Amino acid sequence: MNDLTQSTLAQPKVVGQRTPRIDGEFKLTGRAGYTGELSVEGMLYGYPVAASIAHGTLERLELDEALAMPGVVDIFHHANFPRLHRSPNSMGHGDQVSEVRLPFEDERIYYHGQYVALVVAESFAQARAAAQRVVARYRQETGAISSLLDGAHDSHTEGELLEDSGTTRGDPEAAFAGAAVQIDAVYHIAAESHLQMEMHATLAEWRDDGSRLVVHESSQGVFYQRNAMARIFDLAQENIEVISHYIGSGFGNKLFMWPHAVAAAGAARELGRPLKLVLPRAQDMTGGGNRPASRQRLRLGADRDGRLNAVIHDSTTETSLVDRYVDACGSATPSFYACDNLAVSQRILALNHGTPCPMRAPGEVSGIFALETAMDELAVALAMDPVELRLRNYAHEDPESGLPWSSKQLDKCLHSAAERFGWAQRDPGIGAMRDGDEIIGYGMAACTWFAGRQPCQARVELRADGTLFAACGTQDIGTGTYTIVAQTVAELTGVAVADIEVKLGETSLPTGPLSGGSMATATTLPAVAAAVRDALSALKEVATGHGGVFAGVDADSLTVAEGALSDGERSHSFAEVLEAMRLSSVNGQGSSAPGEEKKQYSFRSFGAHFVEVRVDPSISRVRVARVVSSMDIGRAINPPTARNQVEGGIVMGIGMGLFEKLDYDPRDARLINANVADYIVPVHADIPEIDVELLDYPDFKFNEFGARGVGEIGLTGIAPAISNALYHATGKRYRDLPVTIEALLADHASG
Amino acid sequence: MMDDSVHSPTRRGTPAPTLNVNFTLNQQPISLEVAPNAVLLDVLREQLGLGGTKKGCDHGQCGACTVHVDGQAMNACLRLAVMCEGQHVTTVEGLAREGELHPVQQSFLACDAFQCGYCTPGQMMSATALLNDARIGSDDAAVKEAMSGNICRCGAYKNILTAIQQARATLADDATRRAGEGTP
Ligand code: FES
Ligand code: FES
Repeated sequence: MNDLTQSTLAQPKVVGQRTPRIDGEFKLTGRAGYTGELSVEGMLYGYPVAASIAHGTLERLELDEALAMPGVVDIFHHANFPRLHRSPNSMGHGDQVSEVRLPFEDERIYYHGQYVALVVAESFAQARAAAQRVVARYRQETGAISSLLDGAHDSHTEGELLEDSGTTRGDPEAAFAGAAVQIDAVYHIAAESHLQMEMHATLAEWRDDGSRLVVHESSQGVFYQRNAMARIFDLAQENIEVISHYIGSGFGNKLFMWPHAVAAAGAARELGRPLKLVLPRAQDMTGGGNRPASRQRLRLGADRDGRLNAVIHDSTTETSLVDRYVDACGSATPSFYACDNLAVSQRILALNHGTPCPMRAPGEVSGIFALETAMDELAVALAMDPVELRLRNYAHEDPESGLPWSSKQLDKCLHSAAERFGWAQRDPGIGAMRDGDEIIGYGMAACTWFAGRQPCQARVELRADGTLFAACGTQDIGTGTYTIVAQTVAELTGVAVADIEVKLGETSLPTGPLSGGSMATATTLPAVAAAVRDALSALKEVATGHGGVFAGVDADSLTVAEGALSDGERSHSFAEVLEAMRLSSVNGQGSSAPGEEKKQYSFRSFGAHFVEVRVDPSISRVRVARVVSSMDIGRAINPPTARNQVEGGIVMGIGMGLFEKLDYDPRDARLINANVADYIVPVHADIPEIDVELLDYPDFKFNEFGARGVGEIGLTGIAPAISNALYHATGKRYRDLPVTIEALLADHASG
Repeated sequence: MMDDSVHSPTRRGTPAPTLNVNFTLNQQPISLEVAPNAVLLDVLREQLGLGGTKKGCDHGQCGACTVHVDGQAMNACLRLAVMCEGQHVTTVEGLAREGELHPVQQSFLACDAFQCGYCTPGQMMSATALLNDARIGSDDAAVKEAMSGNICRCGAYKNILTAIQQARATLADDATRRAGEGTP
């Protein structure tokens, strides 16, 4: 039998196989402890009071009545909250936060929902009741900017141009001017809410006379929060622990800490008692992150054969008045299609919103909507099949870097999904396909997401009771990280997944990556594998040493299989090896980081979505009836959970296409629909037939597991596939998202 | 809040008044002192330490807090605890019996019908209620309609539907087997 540890994982037994989630039973029985349901002895509850205006000054707080309510312990605000420090807010130094302004830092009101006070009481109900009795008096000012899409900012020169965020190759303006066929269009996408089901939550506890801080946070990045808190509270990093075992998902708004966590920890320190703060949904939506609205102008120039010779992509996105967030819409564009002349630019407009932050496939999902809708417009202008147009402009290497792709199977995605969808049966005529009263529209789009890795460390123990333990300070936000770590350990040791314990989500563990950017899998597994190999070499050393079960045998000659070491004749389980030496366990450390491969190859996942919409013109109703997708993501470590990610991305894409819009009042920039009923997301009844195929082309140039990551890509490309299908059904080009029933009605009435 | 005209008398130092409520929770009788305005969801999560029932909105809009009250699926965030007097309340913690997962839990696990797991208790409580509700059809469209009060932002809807239909088949098989065992 081959030594598993030496294998290239070319023929894995556990990796790549369907494996039920190891945390599944905890989640399904209610025993998984999400932050908001944890409690500790003596715990207090915090409930923020949020500004009811978006632009002005807090003049006065009237607190007497609230302070007199049962159970109220204290109320913090600008005048009495401790003076803290800001975080340097550096991605490179790992202390990035979502909003750099500290809570209660000044009395300016920059956005609706900004915290003006924190009520602390003995129970949640008491804190909430008292927060409702806090009276805040404001001096509201006119001139609030409510949205990039308010009509007053719809020009190419609004906002601040970010010189270092653009890229140019060739002479795009000249090439566009001279192109035989030109597309020049503007696309608008409304701001969206992450609306992760579990609101932001913090449980802060100071220990050892206030010298140590333990924070439970629903977080996609415990190390970033620890590092930022160390700076904010002026503590050594090792005196802060941040813990996040179960996360009710995040989609990007739990990557970096928000001010509520600082408010909770600050108040807990002042009061000398632990404090739990769960944001109410409305505050989670006003101040807990959003995908900023975008305005994009896309210019495509092509020859009569459909070959692109100019792509110019100019984007403007929103940021807040208290931080600078850049949603880089054009970041996928330079690598998408072969084209010698290209320019991408990025602007930001600061306005009266809570600070935007990354939301699933940040930037690229918006940019791909514009690019892939424009490509459909070009196909129509050329009377060419949109699939053929994409193949004609296929980038066989990365046109931006000039590097070869590590592995790119977009052509196979396009062919396979088109075949399964029945694209060949499409009648390209507008409204030409009908079923009873319904018009059927077919649309498609290609999609992509970059593949990246971060540095990572991990630890593995082989224990005398026969179990194994693996630890890494990354998180499982629902993507299945717990399970793929266990699969990795199982693969390399031959021990059953059931006998492997995995611990994630603590800063006391080896440093792990953010759960974001589809990078966690490719980042974490190589470090875990290195730790397994290190532990196995420690075990072999023990086994072959004096008194060991293989004393005198060459350690390198021992092979590993089924949780045992073997010299070819005899085999001893890990437990026996340890038992013989009276050892409780051996330990292995591992680390990994991106390396030379980035200089040799370009790494991206690609895919294709084909969508059928059905439009009932009599009631202006549109439904997505069918989605057929093929994804090239390298290897799926756990196929059902990987497919679940893509399907979830598709669902979110339907929301982006048809429903989701944060509605800011144009008069005063207040968020009108800060609740789960008025901010519309897809529910069961909206879900079409979904057929996702994961191509199996492991990307071994990226890492030994061949995985590139899968969290974002399913979302990219769905909205343009829907809008392109709507064009096919109605002949109307929908360049603004979401395509609401109101937009359809307006077009129907005027058409 | 601005211009909040609601006024209440100063009560600093006065103990919060409570009421006694008696009901059956996961088949165990319990007797509790709760504030008159205490919401069932908060009592479960904060007072009783039963965190399986989730809070996603506190407004009856998301379904994460779904429990059974006398066999009916209800939003625990929309019920005062005192309203449960004499009733039977079941939470996700009461679904498994004697350590064995309920068929709905088993099918959710087998079908990977969740991701983050936060909406999942609510989804399963709605699912178990609808599988017992003769008014709701067994076809996919009827199930999707009936489940539409339970949002899954992770978007695991396809697998949730598959899991519910699989559990329906399991429960029907079990019923057939029990009926078979009953005949001589
Ligand atoms: S928490 Fe009850 S419905 Fe959302
Ligand atoms: S599994 Fe995350 S919200 Fe449903």
